[in-house]
Amino acid sequence: MLALDVRNISKNYAHFQLKDVSFQLEKGYIMGFIGANGAGKTTAIKTILNLIHLDSGEIYILGKELLKHEVELKQEIGSAFGDIDFYSRCKIKALTNVIKKFYRNWDDEAYYNYLKRFNLNENKKIAELSTGMKVKYRLAIALSHGAKLLILDEPTSGLDPVARDNLLNIFQELVQDGDVSILFSTHITSDLEKCADYITYIHNGQIVNSAEKEEFIDNYRLLNGKESQFPLIQHQLIAYKKNSFGFTGLIHTRDFDSSLQIKASVPSLEEIMIYFAKKEDLHG
Amino acid sequence: MVNLVMKELKLGVSPFFYVLPFLTGALMLIPGWLYFLVTLYFCFITIPNMFAGYKTQNDLIFTSMMPVTKRDIVKARISVIVILELMHIVVAMLYGIISLRLYPNLIYYFFKPSWGFWGLSFIMLALFNLVFISMYYKTAYKYGAATVIAITVAMLFAGGAEWLGIQNSVVFDIFKGAESGNLALHLPILIIGIAIFALLTIIAYYIAIKRFQKVEL
Repeated sequence: MLALDVRNISKNYAHFQLKDVSFQLEKGYIMGFIGANGAGKTTAIKTILNLIHLDSGEIYILGKELLKHEVELKQEIGSAFGDIDFYSRCKIKALTNVIKKFYRNWDDEAYYNYLKRFNLNENKKIAELSTGMKVKYRLAIALSHGAKLLILDEPTSGLDPVARDNLLNIFQELVQDGDVSILFSTHITSDLEKCADYITYIHNGQIVNSAEKEEFIDNYRLLNGKESQFPLIQHQLIAYKKNSFGFTGLIHTRDFDSSLQIKASVPSLEEIMIYFAKKEDLHG
Repeated sequence: MVNLVMKELKLGVSPFFYVLPFLTGALMLIPGWLYFLVTLYFCFITIPNMFAGYKTQNDLIFTSMMPVTKRDIVKARISVIVILELMHIVVAMLYGIISLRLYPNLIYYFFKPSWGFWGLSFIMLALFNLVFISMYYKTAYKYGAATVIAITVAMLFAGGAEWLGIQNSVVFDIFKGAESGNLALHLPILIIGIAIFALLTIIAYYIAIKRFQKVEL
């Protein structure tokens, strides 16, 4: 079953377009949503939460159409925006008391277990929490109301490496039972190498690729060749960098002719992102 | 819906605004003052401060992520405005009764706090609501221009009414003269005022919903 099914969504702004975005997230998995700043991650996430209107396309969550079942589906969605604070002068206790009334499946026992597990003190004010603790608080809320789909916008940005690792471990534990699915956007690609099952890469408002992580990376090869080899392969390269020894470039695996004897390696997600951004500079 | 109203009352409205009606209401004890100002303080102080709070606390996104409809979000917000307005006006009425007892022989230059005067105050707040609520929901966060224009309209109404009370002998008689104690005349004015308040606030609600549906967050 699909936890999230985004079908051909488009949205036009004066200076930015979300173009025909589609991707699917299987129930019980973690999908990393990557892209540079301004690539359209937050816009896409906002459409999934129906915070902005679509020009075209459809979104299905847990098998139901979002626009028709918005209120019902929001009972099952937990969301967190890494950079937005709400009622930050409020104590955790007071804020939770207001929030919990909105959810029919609220489980107080689960909530206190998560508070304990995440070391959250309910007498603290939101403003007194560190960035990582704020994300954990949002997670505690989402999990206590029985959210099946977590949509997290940049939950790890601004966290130190230890807090990030800690959070990523929590993500992995949450999906273990196969009940919860997570979509989280990030520009920190090492997060995904650690814990994502699927990767969706958005660039300039368009999906470049959405696939299972290993398959995603396997689609590309990073070439390291001599200057003399460059003309042989230049037109197949997605993007390249030249230096005094030769060139390095990214290529679709299917376009790579191994008989050319060019040194090829499997790129990291970061390298894929960088070369795609470069492609823009070369052609754009 | 009840959850949303409770959310507004607990998180959105600072306790200060529940105390304010008792402070501004006490201004009714100033003999012969311009009593329209007492309820206008709600528009001057509570509205801009409350809405600045909503903006800085990112209330719009916070509320929109909850399992609620946009229609209910608007309905709850307007309910809270109306609850606070009623608090201001009812508390001012109570102080008004005390004021009338304290100064039985006062010559009023501005309107006397009679039942009919409160009817006029309801009409003033009705105009404020119509302009403020419908303008605010064009964006659901910009409150400045909406507040300024809505206050201006309310003040023009209050100023115009006071001017009539001075210039026109019939209006003078009803609100300050021989008829100022005539309940048979004043209660219908109060009831009409309340009816106009309800009607214009409901119209504002429908305009607000229509506009808020188009707002992108």
